[in-house]
Amino acid sequence: MAALPRRIIKEAQRLQLEPVPGISAVPDEQNARYFHVIVTGPADSPFEGGLFKLELFLPEDYPMSAPKVRFITKIYHPNIDRLGRICLDILKDKWSPALQIRTVLLSIQALLSAPNPDDPLANDVADLWKANEAEAIRNAREWTQRYAMDTTSM
Amino acid sequence: MSGDGESDMEYSDNDYDDYYNSGDSDVDQIDPKKTDPEYFDYKCLLVEEVEKLLNELVEKLNTRIEITPSLAKVLLHEHGWDVEKIVSKYRENSNGLLITARVKPPTNDQPTPSTSSSIACSSSSWSTTNLPTTSSLSLHRLCPVCATSHLPDKFEKLACNHSFCKDCWAMHFETQIFQGITTQIGCMATKCNVRVPEDLVLNLVTRSIMREKYQQFAFRDYVKSHPELRFCPGPNCNIIVRSTSCEVLPKRTICEMCQTQFCFKCGMDYHAPTNCQIIRKWLTKCADDSETANYISANTKDCPNCHICIEKNGGCNHMHCFHCKHDFCWMCLGDWKNHGSEYYECSRYKENPNIANESIHAQAREALKKYLHYYERWENHSKSLQLEQQTLDRIKTRVNEKVMKAQGTWIDWQYLFNAAALLAKCRYTLQYTYPYAYYMEPGSRKDLFEYQQANLEAEIENLSWKVERAETTDLGDLENQMDVAEKRRTTLLKDFFPSTVSNTFT
Repeated sequence: MAALPRRIIKEAQRLQLEPVPGISAVPDEQNARYFHVIVTGPADSPFEGGLFKLELFLPEDYPMSAPKVRFITKIYHPNIDRLGRICLDILKDKWSPALQIRTVLLSIQALLSAPNPDDPLANDVADLWKANEAEAIRNAREWTQRYAMDTTSM
Repeated sequence: MSGDGESDMEYSDNDYDDYYNSGDSDVDQIDPKKTDPEYFDYKCLLVEEVEKLLNELVEKLNTRIEITPSLAKVLLHEHGWDVEKIVSKYRENSNGLLITARVKPPTNDQPTPSTSSSIACSSSSWSTTNLPTTSSLSLHRLCPVCATSHLPDKFEKLACNHSFCKDCWAMHFETQIFQGITTQIGCMATKCNVRVPEDLVLNLVTRSIMREKYQQFAFRDYVKSHPELRFCPGPNCNIIVRSTSCEVLPKRTICEMCQTQFCFKCGMDYHAPTNCQIIRKWLTKCADDSETANYISANTKDCPNCHICIEKNGGCNHMHCFHCKHDFCWMCLGDWKNHGSEYYECSRYKENPNIANESIHAQAREALKKYLHYYERWENHSKSLQLEQQTLDRIKTRVNEKVMKAQGTWIDWQYLFNAAALLAKCRYTLQYTYPYAYYMEPGSRKDLFEYQQANLEAEIENLSWKVERAETTDLGDLENQMDVAEKRRTTLLKDFFPSTVSNTFT
């Protein structure tokens, strides 16, 4: 494998030395482009108290292309589908090479605080979110408890 | 009446031109061409000619406003290559123009300090790392993308002042070009939508294959943004057609190079009298429903008299049963005698007048019936057109045989080819009348349309019959039939040409 670009080394180091509150991202021992990520559910959201596992991969042409990020922990969210894929503009057409792993993860954390049912990825979830927000939030809280609070699997 | 007579003359001239394939020898520059609803002024250009044309526009804009050629190109691309429009907008509000064209950042409020602070912020995001960076040399600056320090002359920035090292820019450009993005390449900074002009890309991208790709894709974008230019849709054809009539109309365009015939407005197969939206709707509908329709309208029919199974092997709808010698119409299976003498109306769809009171099921059935009525006729003419190619081949063999046997010279038999070409032209128009009729609201206009359609249909069938039996048909009779058919065709087009009657729908 080609030498790791300086940019990736620096980002990984900084993530260790100055971690973002509520986010941990650790490079895999075998593959320095693959990160094990844990995002804590933001306070005052139905995801509060949950620990959400994600995987993040930096493609060959990173930072010219966006990192690939996916939720591994099941989550009830209108912009995240059942495979854990995330609908977030900066991961697609709004990607800028000046963005970093930390900014991406912060945006994902912000997405948990502010779901956007008008731009849905999981249609059934988004529909309920719009039709009956209280019930949708109840579902999200239940899923958080069921899938994101089982510390043994972490 | 005399005007009509002139235009008839005109058409036979056209066929003559077509035949000798010498469309460029416009010796007769008579204005009556303007009375032809299908007439359209255009030129087939080569890539180099179009490049020259676009460069001239860039130069023209350059002399009017002070701007680099690359930025002029961005502005022209954004404004449909309308120099006058850009100049007037520039005089009105130069800043606004540059912002909407994404040449300048939209932050009107002190753009320089805010952007420089964002740079400071982004580089500080790196410098806080307590790594042994090369910051010992104060001259060096950190590129926020590769996180590497370089001398200031390694940096490049756009009007937004977002500065990155040249290597990162080049890599960014290559990534974008690889995805087919050229004229829309943007600044690398977050949330900055300033566009990268051509000169920066070509200065920094060094790999020749990427440079070529960039120029090729950008050229496509430029042509597509120019309202007077269209790529010929023919396979592997590099011709670009330019409308010289200052209007974008759904007119027939024939590529001089590959002979592909298409509508100038939408680039699809030429479709008059149907307009661009309707033909797209119709083709989608046909693609969706074709399985059913194909199943229902099979390729064979039974003779209405003796019920023997008949496969249609020629373009004419006048069927002559070999078994019982019955003459009938392939379309309506009615006796052909009524078609010749009486008013020909098997092209008309008769709507059930009580349909509003029927059940939903019956309405659905009626809708399918209506669709199939038009679809069958559309398909039928399309197939007939293909069969007429075979007829043409047969004529060729026949003429060759005759010439070999010294029965007249090759020239003597040319009228047959003219007749076959005209027949194909008429049938093509007739085919495209069916989608039009399908989407037409019932009313007097539709009645008129279907009346003219039926007239055209009848004359085409007569012509088709006479062409196939040309040896026994009198030359004068055939020529007369050609005139009549073409007159029917142009009358219909004159009355219903898309650009003039587009408001009849919805």
